[in-house]
Amino acid sequence: MKKYSLGEFEEIVLLTVGVLYDEAYGVAIKDELEKRLKRKVSVGALQSALRRMEGKGYLNSRFGDTTNARGGKRKRYFAMTAHGKAALAYVKELRQNLWDDIPDIALDF
Amino acid sequence: MIKQAAERFFRWYCHPDFYEDIKGDLDELYLREEAQTYALGPELWFALEVIKLFRPSLIRPLTAINHSNHLDMFKNYLKIGLRNLAKYKSYSAIHILGLALGLASFLLINEYTGFEKSYDQFHEKPDQLYRLTTDNIVGGEITVRDAMSFAPSGKALMDELPEILSYTVTHKRGSMIVRKGNDLVDEKMVLAVDSNFLHLFNYPLLAGNVDEVLIAPYTMVLTASKAKKYFGDINPIGQKIEVLGRFNRPFEVVGIVEDVPDNTHYKFDILISLKSMQAQVERDNWNGYNYYTYFRLAPDADIAQLNEKLIPLSDKYIGEESTLVFNLQPIKDIHLHSDFTFEPEIHGSAKAVNFLSIISIFILLIAWVNYVNLSTARAVDRAQEVGLRKVVGAKKRQLIGQFLVESLLINFFGALAALGLAELLLPHFNFLVGKTVLTSAWTNVSFLQKLFVFFLLGTFLSGFYPALVLSSFQPIGVLKGTFSRSKHGTLLRKALVVVQFAASLILIANTIIVYRQVNYMTQKDMGINIDRVIGFQNPRFQRDEREQYSSKFNAFYEELNRLPEVVKVGGISSLPGGGSSDVSSSAGGVRIVDKTDRLEGTIYVVQIDEPLQEVLDITVLAGRNFRKDMASDSSAVVVNETFLKQFNVSDYETMINEKIQLGRNPDNDMYKIVGVFKDYNRTTLKNSVEPTIFYYDELQGNSVVRLTAGDPTEGIKAVEATWRQFFPDAPFAYSFVDSRFEKLYVEDKKFGLLFGNFSILAIIVASLGLLGLASFLAIQRTKEVGVRKVLGASTGNIIMLFFKDFIYLLGIAVVIGVPLVYLSMSGWLSNYAYRIDFPWWAMVVACLIIGLFAFVTVGLQTYRVAVLDPAKTIRHE
Repeated sequence: MKKYSLGEFEEIVLLTVGVLYDEAYGVAIKDELEKRLKRKVSVGALQSALRRMEGKGYLNSRFGDTTNARGGKRKRYFAMTAHGKAALAYVKELRQNLWDDIPDIALDF
Repeated sequence: MIKQAAERFFRWYCHPDFYEDIKGDLDELYLREEAQTYALGPELWFALEVIKLFRPSLIRPLTAINHSNHLDMFKNYLKIGLRNLAKYKSYSAIHILGLALGLASFLLINEYTGFEKSYDQFHEKPDQLYRLTTDNIVGGEITVRDAMSFAPSGKALMDELPEILSYTVTHKRGSMIVRKGNDLVDEKMVLAVDSNFLHLFNYPLLAGNVDEVLIAPYTMVLTASKAKKYFGDINPIGQKIEVLGRFNRPFEVVGIVEDVPDNTHYKFDILISLKSMQAQVERDNWNGYNYYTYFRLAPDADIAQLNEKLIPLSDKYIGEESTLVFNLQPIKDIHLHSDFTFEPEIHGSAKAVNFLSIISIFILLIAWVNYVNLSTARAVDRAQEVGLRKVVGAKKRQLIGQFLVESLLINFFGALAALGLAELLLPHFNFLVGKTVLTSAWTNVSFLQKLFVFFLLGTFLSGFYPALVLSSFQPIGVLKGTFSRSKHGTLLRKALVVVQFAASLILIANTIIVYRQVNYMTQKDMGINIDRVIGFQNPRFQRDEREQYSSKFNAFYEELNRLPEVVKVGGISSLPGGGSSDVSSSAGGVRIVDKTDRLEGTIYVVQIDEPLQEVLDITVLAGRNFRKDMASDSSAVVVNETFLKQFNVSDYETMINEKIQLGRNPDNDMYKIVGVFKDYNRTTLKNSVEPTIFYYDELQGNSVVRLTAGDPTEGIKAVEATWRQFFPDAPFAYSFVDSRFEKLYVEDKKFGLLFGNFSILAIIVASLGLLGLASFLAIQRTKEVGVRKVLGASTGNIIMLFFKDFIYLLGIAVVIGVPLVYLSMSGWLSNYAYRIDFPWWAMVVACLIIGLFAFVTVGLQTYRVAVLDPAKTIRHE
C-alpha cells in the first residue's frame, strides 16, 4: 500500500461519498454509513477521515448555499477526485488479486 | 449551559476552515430524535460529540498559520546551537559542568545563608519583639553584655513604659531528669516560663487553652513530638510526669504545643510553669539576673529613645551604685549578631554567613567567567558562519539573538545538571552545615525559582559579551581569509583568568589558615592535664539534704578512689571545657585589702575540693592548694595568675595570706589568699584566661575522674557500676574532658570544613575553565608549534613557552590575592585570644597549589599539541 495509503474506514467513507454523489455532506454520509454498517459512527471519526482524505487528495469539497436551516451554517459537499477513484480501484484490484490467488481448497469448508 | 460551553470549546480548538460546516452538521444532528432522546440529555450528547471531534486532523494548527520568519530563525538558532554543542563535546561538557557546579553550590549556600538569616522571623510581627539584656558599664565602657536579666524587671518596666505592650519572663532549666516508665531521661531543652510566654510568641497550642496553661505551679506543656514520646497515642492532657532532682514531684501535662521550628534561638521541648520555681524567683529578685525576659513593643516605639529611658530606670531598680544597665535587643538579631554571654544556645555568626556568601558568589562568577572566556577565545571557529550570515542579510541584532540562544541552551543544560547535582549533594551539604537546610532540591519551590532566576541571569551575563564580540565580525575580512586569530577580548580574557587565579588563591589560603587555627586550638596546651579524664554531673539535692548527701558523696569518692582503674577523683563547680558562660561570676569589683584599690570588672568564681588540683594537674605557683583538714580554708581562696596580674602583681609570694574582698560593700566577707594557681583554659581559646578565684567546698556539683592508663571503657564501666550502687535514681552521663574541649570548636570546624569543600569546588570550576582555554589556545597554535619543532624546539621548550603566558597572569593574581587574604584572615584570627601567627607559608603553599594546577592543566593540553609530528601539522602550508 505504498502507492495509495487508504485505511479501511477511509475506504468505506470514500465509497459512500461516491454512492451519495451530489448529496455527500457530513450528516448524509453519516446516515448512509450507519445504515450500511449497522453501527453508530461519531461525527469526529467521520470528519477526521474526510479531512484526512481531502488532504491526501482523494476528495475535494465545495460549500453549498446558505439556508436558514442549520443555524445559517453552510453544508460542505464532498466529491471523489480522480486520484481517489484510482486509490479505490487500486485497493479493489489488490483485494481481487488476493481473492483470486487463494487456492480453492482453502475456501472449501 | 453545557451545550454553550461545548460550543465555545469547539470553536476554540476547531480548525477555522472546518468550523462552519462541522458546526452545521452538529446542529442538524442535535435537533434529531436520536440526540433529543439521548439517555443523558441532548446537551450531554452534544458535548460528547464535541469531545469526540477533538482529533489531530481537525484541531487548529499549533503554530500560527502565517507564522513569522522570527520563529523559523529561532528554530534555526536552536538547531545550530545544539549542533555546536554536539560538535564540540568536550568544550560543551566543560561549560555545562562548570555552570552546574557553580549554580548548585551557589544555590545550596544561598539556602543555608537564607536559613541562618531567617532566625526568629517566623514570629508574628517579629520587628516588635525585643529581649531585655543586661550591660555591665564600667567607667563609661561596656565590659560585659549579658543576655540575661532580673526576674522582676519585666513587670517593673512594663509598668513604667507605655511602649511595652506585653512581657514574658523565662528561665532556661538546662537539664531536667524525668522518669519515663522504668527509665530516667535527661531532658535538655526545658524552659520555665510564665503564662504570657505562649501569648507573646504565638506558638500554636494543639491541645489546651492558651489562657489557662502554665499558670498553676507544677504544670507543663509538651511539644507534639515529646508528647508522642512519653504518651504515644494516649491523650496526654491531665497525665503526670515525674520530675526528679530538686523538684522531685509529678508535673501535670496541661497543653501540647507544636514542635518548635529550627530557626529560633530559644528552642524548647518542654515548658514548665515559672510558678513551679517561685521560691527561687523570689530569692533571686533583684539579686541575680538568671532570666530571659522578652517584650513586645508598640509598633511605633523608638528603640533608641527607649534605651535612653532605660538608664534612669536601671538606677531606680537595680540600684544607683550598680554598674548594670538594662538594654533592649531585637530578637531577630540574636542568632547572627549577638555576642552576649549566657546565650541560650551556641549562636551563628554573621561573619561566617557572609564569608560563605562571598565564596558562593566567587564560584558562580568563576563559572560564568569560564563561559565568557572560552566563547570569546573560540570566536574564530564561528567567524565564517557569522560572515556568511551577514552576507545573506543577517542583522547584528539577529546575530546577538542567535548567540544568546546558544548561551541560553548551555545555561539551560547547566541549570538542569545543577538541579541534579544539588539533589545529589544535599545530604552531604546538610551534614556539612549540621542542619537540615533543605530536604529535597527538586520539590522546593523557592529553590526552583532561584534556579530559574539565576539561569536567566547567567544566560544574559555570560552570554551577552561573547554575543557582542561574535556578532561584530566584518564579513569581508572573515570571508577573504585575512581574519586569522581572535584578538578580541584578549585583555579581558587575561583579566578574567587573573580574577580566577586570585579567587582560588584566596580560598585555598583561607582554608589552610582556618584549618591551622582550629588545629592549634584543639592541640594547644590548656595548662591542665586532661588526658584520660572524664567528667560527669553529680545528682542534685535539696539544700536541707546537704548533710546526708555530704557523707554519701564522701563514701562514693572513697569507693571510686579504691578502684584500680581510677587514679583520683575530684569535685568542681563547673566542668572544664564548658561553654564560655558556663561559670559563675561576680560583677561587683574586687580589691586586695590594704594593698590595692577596688578594681571594677568581672571576676569568675570556681569552687573546688582538695583533690581537684591533683586530678587536673594544676600547677601551684605560690602558697598551697586547699586542705580538707584546715577548717579555716572555708574562708580562704586560691587565685589564678591573671587575677594577680590585673593588679600588676608580679611576685606572687607576697600576696599569700593577704585578703581579698568582693563587691562594693566594705562589710562584705574577706577571704585569705592561700595559694596561686597557674593559668589554665577552662573554655574555648577564643577567650583569654579570666581573672578567677577558687573557693573551697568539699561537696561539688560535678566530678572529674582521672583514669589509669589502659582501656578507658573498663574504667568507665567500673565508675558507672559504683555510681549505680550509690545513686540508682540518677542517670550516669559522662564525657571525656578533652572531647568537651573539642566540642567547643564544632562551629569553627564546620566553618573550616565548609570553606575547604567549597574552595575545592571553586578550584575545580576554575581548572575546568583553564583546561578549556589552554587546550583551545594550544590547538590554535598547532602550526606555530610545528614550525618551532622543525627549527629544533623540544617538547619541554614548547610547554614552557605556553606556560609562560599563564605564569605571569599567576604572578599578578598573587600580587592581588595575598593582601586580600591578609586583610580578611588577620581580621578573622583576631577573634581568638589564642591564635596562630599569620602563616605566610600558607600563602606560599596556596601559590604552589595554584601553580601546580595551572601547570598540570596547561601542560597536559600543550603536551598533546607539542608531541604532534610537524610533518603532519604543517603539511598544508
